[in-house]
Amino acid sequence: MKKDFYEMTCILNPVLDEEKFSEIVAHVNKLIEDNGGEIVEVDEWGVKKLAYEIENKSTGYYVNLYFHAPGSSIEVIERNMRIHDDIMRYLTLKYDAKMLRHFELRQKGEIPTIFEEETEETTDED
Amino acid sequence: MINNPSHPKKGHLKSKDCKFTKSGIEYIDYKQTDILDRFINDQGKILPRRVTGNSARHQRQLSTAVKRARFLALIPYVTENLR
Repeated sequence: MKKDFYEMTCILNPVLDEEKFSEIVAHVNKLIEDNGGEIVEVDEWGVKKLAYEIENKSTGYYVNLYFHAPGSSIEVIERNMRIHDDIMRYLTLKYDAKMLRHFELRQKGEIPTIFEEETEETTDED
Repeated sequence: MINNPSHPKKGHLKSKDCKFTKSGIEYIDYKQTDILDRFINDQGKILPRRVTGNSARHQRQLSTAVKRARFLALIPYVTENLR
């Protein structure tokens, strides 16, 4: 089966404790793997302040996932996430060629800097 | 804009070149909010191309990135104008 590369970010309910967070992350990972996907990277950003309130909460626990999965599985995964009470919001993106190249650069830590005054190293070619 | 001294509208913009084209970036990531912050005003609106000098392609990518970041509450939809 053809598999595409996806990125998913979700915001979990911040009221829970550490144990529950890892439990939910494991639950989401299992959900993806059960539907024929493979996890590439899991990045937990931790509790962050939200720019606006979601479900009357001003903070959220961010989790960023990268995985390969067949297209038909996304529907199933998203339906399960929508039902889950402690997942406040999620965003799934399918990666195209440009985004994949960007992801590879990011893994190597070679994203071109845009504003040179922030980081001293310049990536000018011209 | 008041809190951001390097904001393009503050006359900090020296050249009208597209910053993204110049750096050779291919995809504007919604997770890099430090970059997106440069292209929104103090109300949280996306700045027009005539102010930032973005190329059409990158302005489209930027607007998608900003909208994704807004959805995930990384940057605000609207900011209260404290006055």
